[in-house]
Amino acid sequence: MSTYVLMKILESTASRYDRGLRLLTLGRLDRIYEHLTSPIKRGQKVLDIGCGTGSLTLRAAAKGATVKGIDVNPEMLSVARRRAEAARFSPEIEFAEMGVAELGSEPPESYDVVMSGLCFSELTADELAYTLKEINRILKPGGWLLVADEVRPQNPLKWLAHGLIRIPLVVITYIITQTTTHAVKDLPEKVREAGLIIKSLKPNKLGDFVELVARKPERQ
Amino acid sequence: MNLLSYIIINIVETLLRMMPLPTRTGIIRMGHPGKDSPVLLTGNYHLTIARVKRALKGIDAYLLVANSRGINIWCASAGGHFNNHSVISALKTSDIEKLVNHRNVILPQLAATGVETRAIHSKTGWKVIWGPVYAKDIPEFLHNGLKKTPQMREASFPGTARLEMAIAWAFPISLIAVLIALPFWRQSIPYLAALVWGMALLMFLAFPLYSRWLTAKGRRIGFIFFDFGRGGFQLVLWGVVLIGLIAYSLATDQFSGGFILRWGFASLVVIIVLSMDLAGSTPTFHSSLSEDRLLKVYLDKTKCRGAAFCEQVCPRNCYQANKEKHTATMPRAEQCIRCGACIVQCPFDALYFRSPKGEVIPPESIRQFKMNLLGKRLVKPGG
Repeated sequence: MSTYVLMKILESTASRYDRGLRLLTLGRLDRIYEHLTSPIKRGQKVLDIGCGTGSLTLRAAAKGATVKGIDVNPEMLSVARRRAEAARFSPEIEFAEMGVAELGSEPPESYDVVMSGLCFSELTADELAYTLKEINRILKPGGWLLVADEVRPQNPLKWLAHGLIRIPLVVITYIITQTTTHAVKDLPEKVREAGLIIKSLKPNKLGDFVELVARKPERQ
Repeated sequence: MNLLSYIIINIVETLLRMMPLPTRTGIIRMGHPGKDSPVLLTGNYHLTIARVKRALKGIDAYLLVANSRGINIWCASAGGHFNNHSVISALKTSDIEKLVNHRNVILPQLAATGVETRAIHSKTGWKVIWGPVYAKDIPEFLHNGLKKTPQMREASFPGTARLEMAIAWAFPISLIAVLIALPFWRQSIPYLAALVWGMALLMFLAFPLYSRWLTAKGRRIGFIFFDFGRGGFQLVLWGVVLIGLIAYSLATDQFSGGFILRWGFASLVVIIVLSMDLAGSTPTFHSSLSEDRLLKVYLDKTKCRGAAFCEQVCPRNCYQANKEKHTATMPRAEQCIRCGACIVQCPFDALYFRSPKGEVIPPESIRQFKMNLLGKRLVKPGG
C-alpha cells in the first residue's frame, strides 16, 4: 500500500483527510481498522497513539471502551473532536495534543489496549524504540498492542516493486507538502525487543503493509 | 571531516537545496564532552549538520539532532515541521539526560518561530537558550558566556548566501527547462540553460542594488507572480533582457520577429518562475506568496514587562529592550519580516499580529498553526 505516503497531502488540510484517505485506499483501510479493533471489549481502557482524525479512536469507543487519543497535530485533533461529538462519544473519549516522547507521563500498567494506525511510520528510530518501551510499561499484564502500518518489504523483489510504485508518489507528496513517511524497518523484531509477544502478523500481498497484534506477557 | 568532502557536500547540496535531505537523528559527540558540556540542538537537514559540526571543531559539546524532516531549521520551524514535539522528542528519546548533569539546551535562534520555551520547560524540565542565527558564531557565543551580540541575532543576505540561492534555483529550473525543450526545441537547450543560470545569478547577485525599491506591502494585482513590488520589478527586468536580445540578434545577424518572439517569451517565463518567490528566498523579506506578509506586529505597552525575549529572537533586530524601565520598543519596525518569533515567545502575550482590516490574530493561533507551502496558516478566520 505504497499510496499511504499520499496521506501527507490530505493531512495538510485535515478537514478533507478522511474522505481522501478512504478514496485513496478504496475502503481497504476501513476494513483493516475494523478488523484490528476487534479484540477491544466493553469497559476496557484504550490508548490510541497518533490518533489523527480519530478513525481508530471512534471504533474503540463504539465497542464501549474508554479511549485516550494522542496526536501532535492540533488541526487533526480538532477534526477528531468534532467527529467524536457528532457520534456522541464525547464522554468516553479524551483527546490530547501529545507526542510519543510524553508517554512517560502515563501511569504504569494503566491500559488494556494500546493501538496505533499509520503513526509508527512517521517516527524516527529513536522515537519508535522509546515508544515500544513505553507501551510495554503502560500496558497491563496481558494487555494488547494493535498496529496497522507501512513496513519495508522483506522480500527483495517485493521491496523493488514497492519502491517503484512509491517513488513517484513520494515525489508528488513532497512537492505539495514537503514531507514524507518512512515505512518501518523490522517492525516485528523491534516489538519483540521491547518485550512484547507477537500473536499475529498479517502482511498484505506486496508485503509493504502489516497488521500486527502483540501481547504483554501475563505476570509470572 | 576533511575540507575536500566538506566542499563537495556544500556544492552538491547547494544544487539540491530545494529538496529536503534528512540525516540521522540522535546524539553526536563533538570532541570529548563530559557531564557539564553544553548541549546544542538542531534539525536533521544534512547540510546544517555538516556546517554545525565544522563550526564546533575543537569544542567539547553534545550535538543533539532532532527531526526537522530533513528541512533547514527556519523553514521547518515556520512550516510546523520542527516544533515543540520535535524538541521534546529529541530530549526524551535520546539518552542525553543520562549524559549531562545540567538541563540547558541551546537551540538555533531561527527555531523560535516554531518552538515555545515554556512548553519545553514545563514538559521536560529543560531550559531553552536561544543561540546565534548562524553556526559560525557558536564558538564566540559559548566563549562569551552564552551572550549574543546584535550581529549574532540578525539574519542577513551577504554575497555568498545570494550566490547559494541563485544556484539553488538555477539548477532545478534549468533542469526542468531542458526537459521541456528536449522533445521539440532541442537546438536551444544550451542557450536556455544559460538563460536560466544567467538570470538567476543576475537577480540574486544584484539584489542589494534594487532591494530598496521592493516592498512587502504590494497588493494582489491580477495574479500572484506580479505581487511583489507591484510587478514593476519583473517588467523592468524583462525590458532589459528584451533590449539585450535585440542587441544580440542584430550583432549576430539573427534578427527576426520569430527570434525575438521565441526568446522574449522564454525569458519572460524564466523571469516569472525565478521571481515567483524571490522575496521568500531571502532572509530579509517575507515570502510574497503568503498572506502573512500583509500583517503587522503590534506591541501592547500595557502588557509588556520588558522580558526582552522579543529582542533575543528577532532575526531583524527590530526590538530594543530597556532593562531598567522594563519595557521594549520597536525602533526598527520597518525591518520586520513577520516571522512571528517574537509573538510566539512573548511570555505576557504583549505582541500580536493585526491584519490590514484591523483583525487581531491572537498569539495562541500563531503558536498553534504554522504555514503550509501555500503560505496559509492552517486556521480559519475567527476560528
